[in-house]
Amino acid sequence: MSILSIENLSKSYGRIQALKGVSFIVPKGTVFGILGPNGSGKTTMLGIIMDILRPSGGSYKLFDEIPDETLRRKIGTFLETPNFYHYLSAQKNLEIAAALKERGHDDIPRVLELVNLTQRKDSRFSTYSLGMKQRLAIASCLLGDPEVLILDEPTNGLDPVGIAEIRQLIKQLHQQGKTIIMASHLLDEVEKVCTHVAILKKGELVATGDVNEILANEDIVEISAANIPQLEIVLNALQGYSNLKVQGKMIQLFYPVGTADVETINRHCFSNGIVLNHLQLKKKSLEAKFFELTN
Amino acid sequence: MIKLLKIEWMKIKNYSAFIVISCFFALGIFMANYLVYYFKKNVVDPADPTGLISGGSPFGFPNVWQTVSYYSGLTLLLPGLLLLILVTNEFTYRTHRQNIIDGISRIEFTQVKLLMALIIAVCSTILVFITAMAFGFIVNTGSFSFYGVSSIWFFFLKALTYNLIAVLMGVLIRRTGFAVAVFFIYTVLENGLSLVLLVWAIKIKKEHNIDLGNMGNYLPMNAADGLVYSPFGMFTNMANKFLPSDYTWLVFSLAIAYMVLFYFWSIQRMTKSDL
Repeated sequence: MSILSIENLSKSYGRIQALKGVSFIVPKGTVFGILGPNGSGKTTMLGIIMDILRPSGGSYKLFDEIPDETLRRKIGTFLETPNFYHYLSAQKNLEIAAALKERGHDDIPRVLELVNLTQRKDSRFSTYSLGMKQRLAIASCLLGDPEVLILDEPTNGLDPVGIAEIRQLIKQLHQQGKTIIMASHLLDEVEKVCTHVAILKKGELVATGDVNEILANEDIVEISAANIPQLEIVLNALQGYSNLKVQGKMIQLFYPVGTADVETINRHCFSNGIVLNHLQLKKKSLEAKFFELTN
Repeated sequence: MIKLLKIEWMKIKNYSAFIVISCFFALGIFMANYLVYYFKKNVVDPADPTGLISGGSPFGFPNVWQTVSYYSGLTLLLPGLLLLILVTNEFTYRTHRQNIIDGISRIEFTQVKLLMALIIAVCSTILVFITAMAFGFIVNTGSFSFYGVSSIWFFFLKALTYNLIAVLMGVLIRRTGFAVAVFFIYTVLENGLSLVLLVWAIKIKKEHNIDLGNMGNYLPMNAADGLVYSPFGMFTNMANKFLPSDYTWLVFSLAIAYMVLFYFWSIQRMTKSDL
């Protein structure tokens, strides 16, 4: 069963196209990261899925069913900003959320404890700091222990300890078999907690799949010789790299981290009659990968 | 719907603006009527002991129904204001989004607000009914009678119209301050426009002898107002020779039509647009 399937989803605001025919599937039990720079359409997409924005085209399903409010009750969602009644306490706000989700009040103490807000539960929401508001929103998502969580930039505004706690929490929930869909512009965050990823760029889906495949950390070996076509033929016979790219007067070989051996390459080329004039091992950062995917 | 009403109650029962405005409204109804009563007793009665101008005792049965309905109607902007705040608060706090995310439909979200408009109108009407009974028994000039109690029913329609306008403006404008300003400015503008229409109707009646009725009453708020008349009918009776007729059935139908329009417009707005 897929938790969420998106089919050709589009959204335009006047002349600006925020989403351009995005399709992907979120399998059950994954931590699914939606990664993209600011303004890439992450929140727009989640807004459509939660029926607070109207799509311009395409469709989506939740739990393989036509979505409606009863299916939304099964999902703990935190979208964009913590939205609560400012004049009410955390406790009262959670009581309202529980009533909307048709769950009892008995789970409220547990979720408040999970986000360390038990002591401040009777303070008005308006007196909360940004981080506390954020944590209350996460508590509200966790109400009733839903099978699916949708979190939009969950660590925004949190201090480093808070960020680590949220990551830990997400990992725990994943271990319990829950599905978590998380939007983020922080690559590092996605890499640390997600099992799957979809990368958005200016409303278009750039890549989707297993996080280790998409965001694979690679070593790159840059090689050059006088005769590039000849060099390419020789390198084709070489084993161990995942990808070969000809870039002008240079050939790039992509290796899984730590497996590139420049000596072997040099020996292989030389024994095949090619003298290299350039051979360099470059470590490729995730950032570079992200820029490569989104630029 | 019971579940949604319980949630609305959770939202407002600890909300100070709700408590303050409700108290002001209850006090307003009493004060409006008491001031008229006081004025009538201490200023009009000594000058007009036969009741020629004022037309008998407005606070005794059966006139009291009409009197209290009319003067209480002047305070109806307050429940409207309350609804406007309750609706626009959801947009300000973005809880309208969260409510829908957490598991109610857009239509349910809107319907419960419209239902609140109905409930507040019913509560206002009960309050007016009790006030009328109280004045009637205290003044005690005639024997108890339900004759003319239909004024209370018209008061209810007026309250409901005002409340529905407030909900509609709330969902259309969304920002509290701006919505409240537009609500009040609209009230003034509509009254102004209504007066212009009335003068025009008088002119047409006089010049062409065509009676289009009191056209000033054809606008939403004035249609609702037009259902409850001032109890001091003497002047109106004299003026009727010049004034166009009051087509109560038409004004009544218009009031209902406007309410239906406001209901569907609010739902249409909330179900079709981005939130």
